[in-house]
Amino acid sequence: MAERVAVADRRVRLDLGWLASNEVGLALVTVGFFVLFWTITPGFSSPFNLFALTRVLAIDIVIGFSMMVVLVTGGLNLAVGAIGVAAVMVGGWAMQVAGLPLPLAAAAALLTGAALGWINGTATVVMRVHSFVVTLATMSLFFGAMIVLTEARAFNELPQSFTRLGTQRSFGFVSQMIFLSLAVGVALWWLFHHTVLGRQILAAGANPKAARLSGVPVERTIVTCHALSGALAALAGLMLAARNGAALPSMAGQLGMDWLLPAFLAPVLGGTLLTGGVVSVSGTILGATLVVVLSNGLLQLRVGEFWVQAFLGLILLLAVGLDRLRAHLIERRRR
Amino acid sequence: MTTTLALLRTDWFSLAIAFAVGATALALTQPAFLSTFNLYVMLTAFSLSVLVALSQMVILAIGQLNLSVGAIGGLVAVTFAGAMDVWGLPIPLAILAGLLLGALCGAINGAITHWTGLNAFVVTLATLSIFKGITIGVTEAQPFYGIPDAVKAFGNARVGAVPYLLLVSGLAVAALWVFMRRAVLGRQLLAVGGNRHAAELSGIDVGRVIIAAHVLSALLAAIAGMLAVARLQIGQPTIGDDWLILSFAAPVIGGAILAGGHVSVAGTCLGVAIIVLINNALVLLNVDPFVVQLLLGALILAAVALSRFRDPA
Repeated sequence: MAERVAVADRRVRLDLGWLASNEVGLALVTVGFFVLFWTITPGFSSPFNLFALTRVLAIDIVIGFSMMVVLVTGGLNLAVGAIGVAAVMVGGWAMQVAGLPLPLAAAAALLTGAALGWINGTATVVMRVHSFVVTLATMSLFFGAMIVLTEARAFNELPQSFTRLGTQRSFGFVSQMIFLSLAVGVALWWLFHHTVLGRQILAAGANPKAARLSGVPVERTIVTCHALSGALAALAGLMLAARNGAALPSMAGQLGMDWLLPAFLAPVLGGTLLTGGVVSVSGTILGATLVVVLSNGLLQLRVGEFWVQAFLGLILLLAVGLDRLRAHLIERRRR
Repeated sequence: MTTTLALLRTDWFSLAIAFAVGATALALTQPAFLSTFNLYVMLTAFSLSVLVALSQMVILAIGQLNLSVGAIGGLVAVTFAGAMDVWGLPIPLAILAGLLLGALCGAINGAITHWTGLNAFVVTLATLSIFKGITIGVTEAQPFYGIPDAVKAFGNARVGAVPYLLLVSGLAVAALWVFMRRAVLGRQLLAVGGNRHAAELSGIDVGRVIIAAHVLSALLAAIAGMLAVARLQIGQPTIGDDWLILSFAAPVIGGAILAGGHVSVAGTCLGVAIIVLINNALVLLNVDPFVVQLLLGALILAAVALSRFRDPA
């Protein structure tokens, strides 16, 4: 009797579990909304709108990555906007005032971002407080320092070689900046799936105590993640400056807070847990895509940019709530 | 000797010393500091800021974070102004409407946080966007100008250097001080923040406490928003935009432990006083106003570092 049951159980079952994964769900919803807006909104499918859409998307993806690499460690980086603007002002200064060639100026900006991120990480580790508090303080500190040093003046005579990067299109409607974002995505994916550092980051984020006992240098990985986050924020800032054609101190809003919502929405929608230890690069890209498609579509529908912010907040709530529900159901099924 | 030691261990004593030293230094070097008008300006800033700080303090007490303090303040502010301007509601009714709206926002925050078990940080980040979006959506970024004269007068009236606004804030501070020390709910707040599990096992209804804390926080933010309308004399939708840093800085400087369970009303008030003093000093010394941002950030870091030093738990 027992053998027959055992034999029956060894039937081959097609594992369709991946279809229920977060990323596929996101992709389906995004495509759904895209098709919806394409059909009902006249301006949505114009090459110019699609170009503008892909340009915003390129930047939002990198902003999302910047927050994502800190979320993996179980922390938060509220200073993404402040770091991004501060780094880009350094880059703008390098390009316009110091006359440095483009690669050097860009490197200066990225290094500034990494250095500011390094300060965040080190303060978090040394003071043993949650990165929320540290980055709340540093967002004020960095933004204030940047305004004082630049006297709130913009750099709007950036070299053509730089500003041209923001206007390049492929196929007539795709901004070339999106290829940069996707390349960064591939690099991050490789980091988390194929390198030792990536494994260490995931371990440190999932269970710091266990990771420490296993020999993972938890403190060093946290600092590294914050530095990486800073560098990515700087990259997003550079892309934004290329799009605007100028390095403006106000480009991320007061204290850089305008970046907070996209920074959180993309990774959280994409499945990166706020508790750390789990990351999804493709999810972050898809999450950013959904948000940008929705915002753009709603704007085209003349919903009013004022209401879009309220709507996005609602989506964040729903996304996190659903994630929680999913985790809860998985827990229950395991028991 | 023991009294001095006991005093030193409190949250507020060293802050009071710092404040006294700073104020004395300013009084000696800047003749304008002690002028009636300057004191009035400082007290007005204090009246508004202390409510914002206390609003956050109540949530820090339960070990959570409330990012939507400014957004609630802004929403109540424009609703208060709009109720009087567009609907012609009498002032007491408009105030009631504002308070009810604030309580509703707080209840939403608390309910979502408790029922979903989500981190209050994320919930209030989302509700921050929702409330802010509603504020801007309803006003289309235009302020309400038709504020009744009585409200405008109240916002600017004073007795010597003491603004009428301070009466409202002073009452709120006193009420909160009594609440945290004597009221059962106040003690329960601290218990939940200190050790949620132990509080639950002791029979405290944690859900009720969390929702009550969020409602209280939102009410304080609502009062701050309405006072801001009186002060500014228009229903400005940008009210509350710059409250976030201040709302954390003052309680943290005042000794609030971010893990929850320990806050100090006196400490928070002194924290606000120090921030107002710094702001005032920078204006008198003609320093770049953005230096304030810088200093606030540095202050928060220093305060947190100090509290870790005092309590390396």
